[in-house]
Amino acid sequence: MLRLDQISVSYGGLRALSDVSLDVRAGELSAVVGPNGAGKSTLFKAISGTVPLQAGHIMFQGDDLHEIPAHRRAHMGIAHVPEGRRVFASLSVLENLEMGAATDAGRAGRVRSFERIFTLFPILAERRAQMAGTLSGGQQQMLAIGRALASCPKLLMLDEPSMGLSPVMADTIFDAIHQLRREGDITILLVEQRVTDALAQCDRATVLESGRVVLEGLASELSAARLRQAYLGV
Amino acid sequence: MNAMIEQFVQTLAAGLTAGSLYGLTCVGLAMIFGIMRVINFAQGDFMMVGMYLAVWIAARLGGVHVFGAAAPFIAAILVAPVLFMAGSLLHRLLISRTTGLRAVGLSGEGHQAQLILTLGVALILQNGALILMGSSPVSIVSKLSSRAWEIPLLIDEDSTLFLNQARTISALVSIGVAFLLFRLIRQTGIGKSLRAAADNPEAATYVGIDVTRAHRIAFGLGAAIAGVAGALMVLSTPAQPFVGTDFIIIMYAGVVLGGIGSITGAFWGGMVIGVVQQLSTLVLPLQLQNAMVFLVFVLILLFRPQGLFGRTVERA
Repeated sequence: MLRLDQISVSYGGLRALSDVSLDVRAGELSAVVGPNGAGKSTLFKAISGTVPLQAGHIMFQGDDLHEIPAHRRAHMGIAHVPEGRRVFASLSVLENLEMGAATDAGRAGRVRSFERIFTLFPILAERRAQMAGTLSGGQQQMLAIGRALASCPKLLMLDEPSMGLSPVMADTIFDAIHQLRREGDITILLVEQRVTDALAQCDRATVLESGRVVLEGLASELSAARLRQAYLGV
Repeated sequence: MNAMIEQFVQTLAAGLTAGSLYGLTCVGLAMIFGIMRVINFAQGDFMMVGMYLAVWIAARLGGVHVFGAAAPFIAAILVAPVLFMAGSLLHRLLISRTTGLRAVGLSGEGHQAQLILTLGVALILQNGALILMGSSPVSIVSKLSSRAWEIPLLIDEDSTLFLNQARTISALVSIGVAFLLFRLIRQTGIGKSLRAAADNPEAATYVGIDVTRAHRIAFGLGAAIAGVAGALMVLSTPAQPFVGTDFIIIMYAGVVLGGIGSITGAFWGGMVIGVVQQLSTLVLPLQLQNAMVFLVFVLILLFRPQGLFGRTVERA
């Protein structure tokens, strides 16, 4: 569904990603893990088009994304839940979801997707008229995921959904991701610091370090020992 | 006593009509700042362009004697699409190079570049107008400018409120335009996507909003509003190439007073300035009216630093 072919990204001469290749298969949950500064968020931004590629290709459902501007990629079915949530603070919860549903697929599937969002996160239905900026961190994360789901995406990219949340709230978010995976119609790409949780849930994992892929494989094959080696070099 | 009340009501009315126009100019500036975070120094000069344009259109309309007294107001409405297109074009060619996602990586988010750029546009417009239009002031001569509605005040037999017809209609048109704009921003899909792009350009891109286009619309709207305000203003204030600089300070004061980022607040900020400016003439010499405006400005900000309509509570 999504294939990254040896992509490289630089910020002002500084290499953020070098020759990263990645294969995300339809219906699976793939995780990208790695220490801070490994280039995980950059990888997501390259896929959604807000940072330019220096080399390589990104193919989404057979189309090369190279010539496609960032905002069009959302309409193709790529939904990116950015790090730090980034809800539209001065819009209400419902308006945030409406913004998500403004894609072509989102408009068509609106009734069903809103039902799904409100079933997954009932609190959003309760607070639909509240300004998003006044929600708690966990509720904002739910809204950010809800906003992405409202676009009826084919690929959902979640960047550190548990960041800054209480363990209980993080569990709630992970439960929701688990639920989405079980429903199976959305391919999920997850960046996470809580490596154990991420590995417990995903089908396939990639370990990034200093902008390079150092390890990849089926989650079941990635033993704790090999991960520790990749992370710590011991 | 009655004479004092009469004078007070008369001055208050003058303040409210002036304030409505100021409010509209502030809305234009707030539109561009609120959505693009660009401080537009050329806003006063867009107003100046609107003034000249309105004079030119009104002369053409007046020539056919069909529109009569309505000509200046029709001219004001016609100025809007012209300035909208000019503003959008300016954004496409110049402003967009320093804003939007392109600016995210720049130091200070590109603010320095934006300041220099809009200042340059302001200088070009001012001096361009000087070359093309000359330095002598021009205005629209309308019979409404010298006519007034007389409204009895009912406190005694001969106390009467005089409402200059041109200024009153200008004020009502300003309120109407500002109201339509609030509706556009609050309730339409376009307005919501503009606000989303303002809240978070990156996240807006991720939900499929073309942020550059949203900014182009905001900049065009801001220019159009400045133009319409100028066109309405030219009925009472003659146009000259540097008239914009007289108003840009008032616009900024109004926007800050209303609460930075709030478009509704900007209107009320402008209104407060108009009212204070006029009421101060009751107790102070005319030359001190702007000094009074800034005294009140400082006082309000001392007690409400976020402005009249600014938000203080917002979680990260």
